[in-house]
Amino acid sequence: MAQILQYLANGLVFSSIIILGSIGLSLVYSIADFANFAHGDTMTLGAYGAFVAFGVFGGLGGTVLGLPIGFFLSLAVGMALAAVVAVLTHILVYKPLDTDSIGLLITSIGVAFVYRAVLQATFGTDFLQYDISRSGPIPVLLDTLDVAVTQRDVAIIVSAAVLVIGLHLLLQRTTLGRKMRATADNPDLARVSGIRTDRVILVMWVVGSALAAAGGVFLALYSQLDPRIGFNILLVVFAAVILGGIGSVYGAMLGGLLIGMLHELTPLLGDVGLPVSNAYAPAVAFVIMVAVLLVRPRGIAGDMT
Amino acid sequence: MSTLDIGAYSPREKGVVGLLGALGALLLIAVVTGFLAPAYLLYLVGLSAMYMLLSMGLNVQWGYGGMINFSVAAFFGLGAYGTALLTASGSPISGGVSPVIALFGGLALAAVLAVIIGYPTLKLRDDYLAIASLGLAEVVRIFILNESQWTAGSAGLTGIPLFFSDWPVLGDLTYPYVFYAGGTPVFNMSQSVITSFLNVVLVTVIVAAVYLFLRRIHQSPWGRVLRTIRTDEDLAETLGKNTFAFKMQAFVIGSLIMALAGVFYSHLVLFVSPQDLQPITTFYVWVAVILGGTGSDRGAMLGGFTIVAIQQGTRFLTDTGALPIGAAPLRLMLVGLLIIFIVRLRPEGILPPERELIWPDSLGGGRDE
Repeated sequence: MAQILQYLANGLVFSSIIILGSIGLSLVYSIADFANFAHGDTMTLGAYGAFVAFGVFGGLGGTVLGLPIGFFLSLAVGMALAAVVAVLTHILVYKPLDTDSIGLLITSIGVAFVYRAVLQATFGTDFLQYDISRSGPIPVLLDTLDVAVTQRDVAIIVSAAVLVIGLHLLLQRTTLGRKMRATADNPDLARVSGIRTDRVILVMWVVGSALAAAGGVFLALYSQLDPRIGFNILLVVFAAVILGGIGSVYGAMLGGLLIGMLHELTPLLGDVGLPVSNAYAPAVAFVIMVAVLLVRPRGIAGDMT
Repeated sequence: MSTLDIGAYSPREKGVVGLLGALGALLLIAVVTGFLAPAYLLYLVGLSAMYMLLSMGLNVQWGYGGMINFSVAAFFGLGAYGTALLTASGSPISGGVSPVIALFGGLALAAVLAVIIGYPTLKLRDDYLAIASLGLAEVVRIFILNESQWTAGSAGLTGIPLFFSDWPVLGDLTYPYVFYAGGTPVFNMSQSVITSFLNVVLVTVIVAAVYLFLRRIHQSPWGRVLRTIRTDEDLAETLGKNTFAFKMQAFVIGSLIMALAGVFYSHLVLFVSPQDLQPITTFYVWVAVILGGTGSDRGAMLGGFTIVAIQQGTRFLTDTGALPIGAAPLRLMLVGLLIIFIVRLRPEGILPPERELIWPDSLGGGRDE
């Protein structure tokens, strides 16, 4: 039982990361109408941006949830960097293209390679770590529930929740949010209604990439940082987006939660006699994705926006 | 043959031929002056031909049938692992089988996987097919990486014999081969040159056979239906064609050609590891196909050559120490920029299909082919 609780706790942390990645992917899928293969490397970009910023701000002030204030400042820098790069990429690469969604998909692979090449050339391929000392599991949870959860895990979950709630408020409570939902739903109709969709699309790139960057930073914090972390997780993020239903932000959140949980619950398959080790966690996510595509191509949340 | 009439070639085609000819001459000069080892040049030729096979395989799926297959690396890997597991002395399951028989082992594995991947995914929308096939290719890689009791895992497979190792005459060429003229040695071929040369002969035969086969089926009624499916699947359906069956056939044929490339790779490099199954291999082949010209087998061949030029050229450039960037990121950067610029500037590729789509008879004023 404690074992399952432990898996669920790990799942919650991993889900937070996947959710942050899948929201942006889903936003781009619905507005730009293509599967953006550079999204994973946008996550990596944000993580490296925060890494550099942490070298500057790392020493700042006290701690929140076991993480220095400087870390959150670095997180913001990473998010801003990814947003700027994504907007520039949109203006320089995607926008001038006269091609279909498949052409854009293939182009985004090229963009992903360029991002990764720059990171590899600058930082090398060695594993890096944010210079934050690790604390042990929180004693209360360890004693009462026999579950090992660190302050860092809690910080990731809380930060992701704050960002997701912020996005929810933006989408539901502001004029900009209404414009974004209208554009995602039907760009032509939105344009006819007087919405300057060009600007809305830029905002969506900013929001999607910033959230992706946050996901990348937390992923690097959760495990480690190297130029491939984003691409390695991209298919899992795609699985979440497809499971939730392409183009639906809330679907992507739900899909992210489910895929993240299933990813961490994979060892349970071993307990019921299936010889599936942890290494197969991504494989399990892909197989679920293909199954969903076959049974319910619109995802579990359908077109709910 | 009327299509070989030089006058019928466009300036761009002549330019490409000229450029390739110049590059070939440059490489030959490099060998003659001792700058480049002959065995290495032959190895490069073999590697280029291997990528040509991969590109032609993908071209059947994407160029003819419009299927976005992102699992090239998996089919390549199954071909490579199929033959390696059966022949290698370091194989954890059996080993010692003759390469000629093991070839069919690799092809059979790929055919089975093609049906397993194709059956659920070929009905999907384009971009879903891309994501799903990439995911399933990763499942194959993760399997090979982790089931080390069958696949030797991350260590990879060593001890793979040369393709001709158990042939009566060709397998015995293990000595420095010296030609004498009047008692003095005039020509001396080391063992590595002989084996590399045999590899080139082998792959040339395979590439030529595959090229002729593909040209034939592309011009056949089967190829016409496939092109119709690519252009407008609903139309093909309306005309009473079982589009799924046609796509499945094209998918399996393409996958078999990729596996063939894998088999050849095993016996060329004599080592395979899960590293060869990384998604980057798939994307290299995609670059080759869209650069050469989607749907054009000649383009696929040009693209395959370009990939090796990028792979080996970057190594050469960074070896000189003149660049402030490592070989791996430089290669990644070049491939990435190449993708972006092709889609932007020449989406139809350098050698788009032109005559391939027309019966030769209708070009040459009624002459027979």
